[in-house]
Amino acid sequence: MQKQIIPSADFRKHLRDRGGDSAARCYQCATCTSVCELTTEGSLFPRSQMLKGQWGLADDLAGDAGVWLCHQCNDCTARCPRDAKPGDVLQTIRSLAIEELSTPRFMGKLVGNAGKTWPLLIGLPILLWIGIIFMDNGFTVPEPTNMKTIHATADLSFVDAAYAEDDVHGATAHHGELVEGKETRLVYDQLVPHKYIYVVYSVSFFLAVIAVLASAAKFWKLLGRGGDRKGSFIGSFLPVLGEIASHKRFGSCETSSSRKWAHFCVLWGFLGAAFASGLLVISLYVTKDPLPLEQTHPYKIIGNIAMVLLIVGGLWLTINRLTDPEKTGTSKAYDMFFLWLVVLVIMTGALTQLAAFVFPPLLASIIYVVHLGSIVTLFLTVPFSKFAHMIYRTLAMVHERMVDA
Amino acid sequence: MNKIGVFVCTGCDIGAAVNMENFEDIAKEFGAESYMTHECLCAPEGVATIQSAVDEGTDGVVVAACSHRAKIEEFAFDRTKVYVERVSLREQVAWSMNGEAEDTQMLAEDLMRMGVKRAKVVKAPQPLDLDVDRTVLVVGAGLAGLHAAQAAAGMGNPVLLIDAADELGGYVAGMKDVVPETPPYDTIHANEIAQLISAVEGDAGIKVYKSTRTKKIDGMPGQFEVDLEGPFGVEHVKVGAIVQATGAMAYDAAKLPHLGYGLSADVVTTNDLESMLVESKLARPSDGKLPGRIVFIQCAGSRDPEHLAYCSSECCAASLKQVAAIHRDFPDVETAVVYRDMRTPAQLEHFYQGVQEMPGSLFARGEIDCVSVVGDGLRVAIKESLLGDDVSIDADLVVLATGLVPNSADGESIRLLTDAHGVIAKNESDTQVAAAKEKLETLGEHEGTEILNLTYRQGPDLPVLSYGFSDSHYICFPYETRRTGVYAAGSVRAPMDPAQAVEDGLGAAMKAVQCLEMAARGEAVHPRAGDISVPEFSLQRCTQCKRCTEECPFGTINEDEKGTPEYNELRCRRCGICLGSCPERIINFPDYTVLSVADMIKSVNVPDEEDEKPRVIAFLCENDAIPALDEAAKRGLKWNPWIRIIPVRCLGAINVVWIADSLSNGIDGIMLMGCKKGDDYQCHYIRGSELAEYRMENVQETLDRLTLESDRVRIVDIARNEYEKIPEVFDDFLEKLDEVGPNPYKGF
Repeated sequence: MQKQIIPSADFRKHLRDRGGDSAARCYQCATCTSVCELTTEGSLFPRSQMLKGQWGLADDLAGDAGVWLCHQCNDCTARCPRDAKPGDVLQTIRSLAIEELSTPRFMGKLVGNAGKTWPLLIGLPILLWIGIIFMDNGFTVPEPTNMKTIHATADLSFVDAAYAEDDVHGATAHHGELVEGKETRLVYDQLVPHKYIYVVYSVSFFLAVIAVLASAAKFWKLLGRGGDRKGSFIGSFLPVLGEIASHKRFGSCETSSSRKWAHFCVLWGFLGAAFASGLLVISLYVTKDPLPLEQTHPYKIIGNIAMVLLIVGGLWLTINRLTDPEKTGTSKAYDMFFLWLVVLVIMTGALTQLAAFVFPPLLASIIYVVHLGSIVTLFLTVPFSKFAHMIYRTLAMVHERMVDA
Repeated sequence: MNKIGVFVCTGCDIGAAVNMENFEDIAKEFGAESYMTHECLCAPEGVATIQSAVDEGTDGVVVAACSHRAKIEEFAFDRTKVYVERVSLREQVAWSMNGEAEDTQMLAEDLMRMGVKRAKVVKAPQPLDLDVDRTVLVVGAGLAGLHAAQAAAGMGNPVLLIDAADELGGYVAGMKDVVPETPPYDTIHANEIAQLISAVEGDAGIKVYKSTRTKKIDGMPGQFEVDLEGPFGVEHVKVGAIVQATGAMAYDAAKLPHLGYGLSADVVTTNDLESMLVESKLARPSDGKLPGRIVFIQCAGSRDPEHLAYCSSECCAASLKQVAAIHRDFPDVETAVVYRDMRTPAQLEHFYQGVQEMPGSLFARGEIDCVSVVGDGLRVAIKESLLGDDVSIDADLVVLATGLVPNSADGESIRLLTDAHGVIAKNESDTQVAAAKEKLETLGEHEGTEILNLTYRQGPDLPVLSYGFSDSHYICFPYETRRTGVYAAGSVRAPMDPAQAVEDGLGAAMKAVQCLEMAARGEAVHPRAGDISVPEFSLQRCTQCKRCTEECPFGTINEDEKGTPEYNELRCRRCGICLGSCPERIINFPDYTVLSVADMIKSVNVPDEEDEKPRVIAFLCENDAIPALDEAAKRGLKWNPWIRIIPVRCLGAINVVWIADSLSNGIDGIMLMGCKKGDDYQCHYIRGSELAEYRMENVQETLDRLTLESDRVRIVDIARNEYEKIPEVFDDFLEKLDEVGPNPYKGF
């Protein structure tokens, strides 16, 4: 059966513009696939993806499990005789695949071109908050309020921050360090009442979940063309979770072996933070523990461990990326946007705490608004950013298992 | 020689390995007049001792020291007066034998006898004194020819440059761009052949003849007599050396209907597309529109046993070049190259990479299934693509990258045709005429294809190698052909791209000039470069058997009507194959005679049968076998002391009489060790090993007839790097001889 090839000049242009220009150098010697520890008989990545990339076969790539089974060890890039950087190309292909699969499509395009669109992505949510403030009180910067004692719990994470940011329960600050001697601070609730935060965050979160589900469903359908699946989804899903938890596949990487543990820290840091946030909600609304929690409280310990993992893993990855692009692959605007967004959320989150006591109210308010805005950006872009790999890679691994079964 | 001096070195372990007690007596017994030992003969004092003996009239110097391949400059004296014989005590005794045993001693003494004997019976060669014309004739004014002409003129040689066409430039003149020639080699370069042509035409040292061919080439290097035929009629010129750079042409695409040629006007060849690019008009022949996508089909007819079985090595670069030009001049056009393997030798790899990175250029590996017309376009179906499926791609224009066919003539086949015509004309026997007619049928395509028109016994043109490309020793000595003084350059000798053709032109010009300089000194060219010995033919005893004229690999010997050989000394490479071929033994070099080797054989002391010490004469080719033997010795490998080694110029330079001489002297076995024969021959004289085998088969038949076991004669192939095999090869043979038993003639 002959398959008509329709090379897409557009896709090739996008691939080049996004940093996959080295794909053109590939001459199909298959060194990459030979040295790859992860490649599978059914997919033969990265060689076949390099070819599809060269030809611009966007449809094929969007439904190709191999694109996601690659963990970007860069063993291939290190050994490519022609400097075609298969690791980088696959990374770019993944970003294009996320865009291709994204629902709604325009969000995929916006995030995909974050190198150019970032002012919009960051700016619009900030404008939204400014609009809300304007509607609510017409731009009145609140005066600092005198407080009795201010204790603070440590910031668990930016995810935590997203929920717990300033007084979910209406109390005064529970973030940041104890600031001795200062007894007046800005109460952010007076700037942006919590009801708005609830509404905006809930809506954003909900939209994000819908987008994730829709994109995942599309991907799952496209994947189905690549082989007949057998057995149950759950039957394959559970072992995949085990693999992910242990980072088994990452372990076979040679060139960037340290990435296994860095990524391991980040993954478990995220999970720990999410878990700790859930526990916090329980503690607030179910067990109604007195706040702030003691440092020895189990929830607190979990949260702190997660924070340490996140910081260590995040720093590790960032340092790797900045110091050894040969091994980690060249960083593209798309990846960097996501990384900087996370940093922005954490930094503004931390600054918000400090600013309440030490900065002039106007400056503190600006930082707070940026913080709120960046969290919305984070929510809304997660399904279209690099974060989406959690979904697609997991699905690809489940698909692979079901096909092999 | 008249006055023999023997000089024995005791250095390099020789003194310790050999007992020299009897050496002086042996030397004197075999005719030496003086004998002396020195602890380091190659040191200035040692050399001075020999020199003073030479000054006092010694004309045969026997240096019993190291191999003749070592210390060449130290032991060189006036070669026209003094003959130097080297007895390899170091390599063949001291380093390769075990201790001072009786057998080792017997070997050393035999080597001494053989060396002194030979020095006694040979003569020092006398140099030729011939007039040499230093003009270089370049046949073919394509890229290689133009560069050859320019280079030869640059070295001060007058040049005649001829071309059959009415314009210079050849194949490359029709190209818009050329492949990159300078770093970073990643994109096309402008074709500067027009400047080259005007430089050549303006060169006072180069005389250009357009629309001209060679009607006849007579003579030999340094003294070629050439008749040029052109619009001016026939002009007689004298030249010294010839460069044949007649190039190649594109394979006929009309033979490629399976790739769509003829199916649609929009299926074109590389050359058709090149013409469009030259005119800057890229248009589909069918409707004159700019094609949106051009698909190139590589290996169109190449590497295909039905068409050209070989890789033309140039078509990949040609397509890359066109793709690059299209993306430069017509950026909206998309290109796809369908290839089996992209072959981009040398720096062209960078070019391939550069073209791959051009937006709009695609490369796909696969086999072409078919090309069909779909609507007003074309569809190329590809099998075995790397995408894993059979795929197809639409094209507005399909370009067939056709291969190169050399503009050569097969000199040897043409000669066979001439012979066949002769047989038919004579009409002596019906069977002969029938065989000749059959030959005319099978070789008919060569009728009238002459290019050079040499008046050589072995045909009017260079012999050809595989696929009709002109002769050339393409691995070790490119440009070198089997016709001394005639050098092949450019795509007539091997398919190549323009950059390589330029290099070829320069190389061939240098070879031609080198040949002329050596001819002027009466010296042989490669591989016995510098040898001044030439064979003497004692024609009064010639039986006109024509073996020498037939078997000389270099076409050196013509023959007159009766078949008497006519020797052309400057065509000769001094290999000695004629010496080996002559049943009357009338062909001898002054320093390499049939008799001298026979005398060496007879000098070997053969012990009685009851001593159970067999003797083997091993003839070793000086080109590879002797170097391998020296290497084995240098590495401390030990071999059997019953072997007596005689170096020969080539296995083809072994006269069968030496086998008879050996056997009648009581020698138990004869071994011939030389270069590989066959399609991947390593023989430095091309046919020497092959001829030796053929001759030895005859010898073996004779031996069997005389109830002397044919196993006593063995030929062994050995390459320069196979030195490790040597001890084993000797042992194997001795084992066989042990089975066969001693030579029954022993003691007679």
